[in-house]
Amino acid sequence: MTTLDTRPITPPVTDNYLTFRRGFLSWAFTLDHKRIGVMYLVAVLSSFFVGGVMALLVRTKLLFPGEVSWMSNEEYNKAFTLHGAVMVFLVIIPSVPAALGNFVLPIMLGAKDVAFPRLNLFSFYLWVLGAICAVYSLLAGGFDTGWTFYTPYSSQSEAGGIIPVLIGVFILGFSSIFTGLNFIVTIHKLRPPGMTWFRMPLFLWAVYATAIIQVLATPVLGITVALLVVERAFQIGIFDASMGGDPVLFQHFFWFYSHPAVYIMVLPGMGIISEIIAVHSHRHIFGFRFIAFSSIAIAIFSFLVWGHHMFTSGQSPLMNVLFSAITFSVAIPSAVKVFNWLATLYKGSISLNTTMFYGLSFLFLFTIGGLTGIPLAVISTDIHLHDTYFVVAHFHYVMMGSALIAMIGGLHHWWPKMTGVMFSEFWGKIACAMVFVGFNLCFFTQFMLGSQGMPRRYYLYQPEFKMYHHISTGGSYIMGLGFLITAIYLIHSLFAGKKAPANPWGGASLEWQCSSPPPHDNFATTPRVGDCYDFSAVHWDESTQGYVVDAEAHIAAAHSGKGH
Amino acid sequence: MKNPVTPFDDPKARFAAGLFGMWLLLIMLGVLFVSAILGYVAVRIDNGAEFIPANAPPLPLLLLLSTALLMVSSFTMQRALVAGRAGEASQGRWMVATLGLALGFLLTQWLAWRVLVGQQIGPSDNLYAWTFFVLTALHGAHVVGGLVPLAITTAHARRLEYTPSNYRGVAYCAMYWHFLGGAWLVLYATLWIGSRH
Repeated sequence: MTTLDTRPITPPVTDNYLTFRRGFLSWAFTLDHKRIGVMYLVAVLSSFFVGGVMALLVRTKLLFPGEVSWMSNEEYNKAFTLHGAVMVFLVIIPSVPAALGNFVLPIMLGAKDVAFPRLNLFSFYLWVLGAICAVYSLLAGGFDTGWTFYTPYSSQSEAGGIIPVLIGVFILGFSSIFTGLNFIVTIHKLRPPGMTWFRMPLFLWAVYATAIIQVLATPVLGITVALLVVERAFQIGIFDASMGGDPVLFQHFFWFYSHPAVYIMVLPGMGIISEIIAVHSHRHIFGFRFIAFSSIAIAIFSFLVWGHHMFTSGQSPLMNVLFSAITFSVAIPSAVKVFNWLATLYKGSISLNTTMFYGLSFLFLFTIGGLTGIPLAVISTDIHLHDTYFVVAHFHYVMMGSALIAMIGGLHHWWPKMTGVMFSEFWGKIACAMVFVGFNLCFFTQFMLGSQGMPRRYYLYQPEFKMYHHISTGGSYIMGLGFLITAIYLIHSLFAGKKAPANPWGGASLEWQCSSPPPHDNFATTPRVGDCYDFSAVHWDESTQGYVVDAEAHIAAAHSGKGH
Repeated sequence: MKNPVTPFDDPKARFAAGLFGMWLLLIMLGVLFVSAILGYVAVRIDNGAEFIPANAPPLPLLLLLSTALLMVSSFTMQRALVAGRAGEASQGRWMVATLGLALGFLLTQWLAWRVLVGQQIGPSDNLYAWTFFVLTALHGAHVVGGLVPLAITTAHARRLEYTPSNYRGVAYCAMYWHFLGGAWLVLYATLWIGSRH
């Protein structure tokens, strides 16, 4: 019998990316993808706080229909617009690819960095510049158009902050484009020997599919907001009906980006879920190729369905039917993923930890979010449900219940890797349960509100809607408290958390085979790779209180085909 | 290696990644231009012949000159690339010519704008003029942005820094420059067709 070689690929190191160099400048000018990822994470979570406070203000105002002394109706319009714009452009779009993706992607590939490290830092500073524009727009009078900036509201509104925020969105778009471009080239050109496309972690497949959308769809948003800025400045433009322009053209342009953007938000989240479900149920992912190709299929479909946002905008009936039919098709790759995740869980050795709590939350919430998309894709029911709380509830189940919950799950999954410390499982589970319960109270009631005719964005409502609004607001408070607890225990862990082993969960992909936190240049030599979902060579090691991957056996299993 | 900031150990792999990245950048910019042009086409078709106001002058003839300047600059850029790839001394001269032609293009575009404004057609007068100014400004902004890499590449080329083993800079610059030439031809053709009754 041979002795198992349980050494990790890189020898234990005393130096890591956090201690490699010190001082503000070493962070501000870093080209290390891990530090850039961490900076994005801090920036994105700070924005999440701002967007979350706005959401709570909106929900609090809705406790009382009509005028309240502490928030005028105009301020209410600005608050929900700010909430939407911040959450979409500053939080969810960059959250997974730019923050977690930046940290994890090169390590998963066994690479030293992304293909273009300077472009990566440039993307981050573009994000910062975009955020500064958004903050400036508040000082300049805010914006009240809704996050969609529909014309003619956006070209005629008297709010003073519209041009600055549009410039901000333009800049944020290019931040997103350059991140996507960087990731596509990195995945093509920096995969290590042995990592074929079908040995690549599903998170990377998802990030790759996302990056394609980022590069191809985001320029359309860029030109749209640029044209809108010029239109607002000159008071004439192609979206201005009084001059022969077409406001519906704006909607076409906007949704040609913003529908694919929905998948920019949720696809990377789905990639995280593939990792979480497989690693925390210690079972080979079921249907690898199906999950991988479904990401690409979703990316392709995403470009063909934008018209379903415009069923009531005066589109031709033929176009409505086509967009409706293609929209239904998105259900196929989405369901393929869900069934494969369920099949992975089946007979798995599930660790019911905080991360898995988030993984399971995602499955539940995404299923509701997906299924409630169907009545919105049916033209007849959409005419009833359009611009009601039903739509608000649906996209929150997808954007927040799915994309953001996956992001928080991913944050927990990779927290020990990023910080080198473990968080409190006890508080983690409590907070996750609070978020889950609060979320459903907040948004499930909105399905009822919407189906009974409560329009979105109104500050007034009929007395019969009062109970639903109160439950919804109560849910938002529970959710807010859950996130507050999450912030507290994660920050607490930085100071008092138990030291994390290299591989706390039993993962087999490369990021679990370098130390926690990783060294400055990730791997001393380019690692060889096995099947990242084959957990047969992953063993618990009592001495380090973590798992170790037997690299030789892992690679041998992959080559003998046992991994699949 | 002059610039060590890269995860690639092999310069060839790095160059291949750079070229791939440039292709993606150009595809992205292509989407941007195509969207802008489609927006123009949509409102042009929507409005039919009424799109062109009765007093509208034809497109300035200066645009023919600017088109010629840009096409010649594409040629000189290509010569600079060939010279850079061979490490020849003419790389500097060709790049200086390209930079000069680029400035000439911008000057001619500016003069074309002045001609229109002189004929009482400004960007806020009607959609016909607005689309002309906005689309040419969109392209012009990309040319202005391109002056920076063009100037840097020219400086390198004048010092004869491009060699058969490293001519990345001039290669990337040439890709971008040819793209701008192609984008202008499509844009100009569209505007010309759109300006006819």
